Amino acid sequence: MSEIDFRGPVDSVALSAPDGAITLADESSCTKVLVRGARKTAAGIHLKVTYGRSRRRKDGVLVCGSRPGEWTLLAEPGRSGDVAESIPSEGFVSIVDITHGRAMLRISGRDAVGALAKVCNVDLADDMTPDGAVFSGSVAKVTCDLVRDDRDGERSYLISCERSFGRYLFSAVADACVEFGVDMPPGLSIH
Amino acid sequence: MILVPCPNCGPRNSSDLRNTGEVVPRPDAATASLSEWRSYLYLRDNPAGWVTETWYCRSGCRTYFTIERNTATNEVRGLERT
Repeated sequence: MSEIDFRGPVDSVALSAPDGAITLADESSCTKVLVRGARKTAAGIHLKVTYGRSRRRKDGVLVCGSRPGEWTLLAEPGRSGDVAESIPSEGFVSIVDITHGRAMLRISGRDAVGALAKVCNVDLADDMTPDGAVFSGSVAKVTCDLVRDDRDGERSYLISCERSFGRYLFSAVADACVEFGVDMPPGLSIH
Repeated sequence: MILVPCPNCGPRNSSDLRNTGEVVPRPDAATASLSEWRSYLYLRDNPAGWVTETWYCRSGCRTYFTIERNTATNEVRGLERT
């Protein structure tokens, strides 16, 4: 796989509340590699993550069990090639770089769950979606894949959707953050 | 709200899934008459009571499964993967 210059669907800088209680950032340029195959294939055994859970590999790649028999690997930008090559491809396995096809944003901070709960139909309580949980649901009426990936003990969620919805999703989630002190930049409003 | 029990995701709001309709046995392609094909494609019982139907978990695990649902009360039983 060759690395192609990434052109993000969101043209806003990261947004934060003045007290730092919530941060919303576009992370669409992160490497995203989709793996499909049965759990008993070499890839399934190698990835070791069941549906609904995630784990971070030693090389920093976040392996997410996004569906039964489907994994999404997330890493820093520009790593599509080495991430894809790290997966054993023997048997009936499909490995596809979806970096350019998906938008992704990260919402973090102690108020992140409050803002996300306004627009997401999934229960974000600790017992339902603990750190490392991978789940899908509606965020601002867009079907999204979500990963709870806490940082430094604070709530943090990665939200990804089809690229064409990226700008709208960013705007809609930013709008949900306004109540928590985030200033909406001009041109981003959905109203 | 109708809660539908997905075998992978657990109970989800029915808006997260798609009801793909009553389960109807497919006729034998070699022997079925036009009338049987028409019945299979277009006609449903639509009872006010228990019906076996297929659902698709479109927002979650993207799995098809069948349940029995009471169309009068939306009570659900008999979850089965397809």
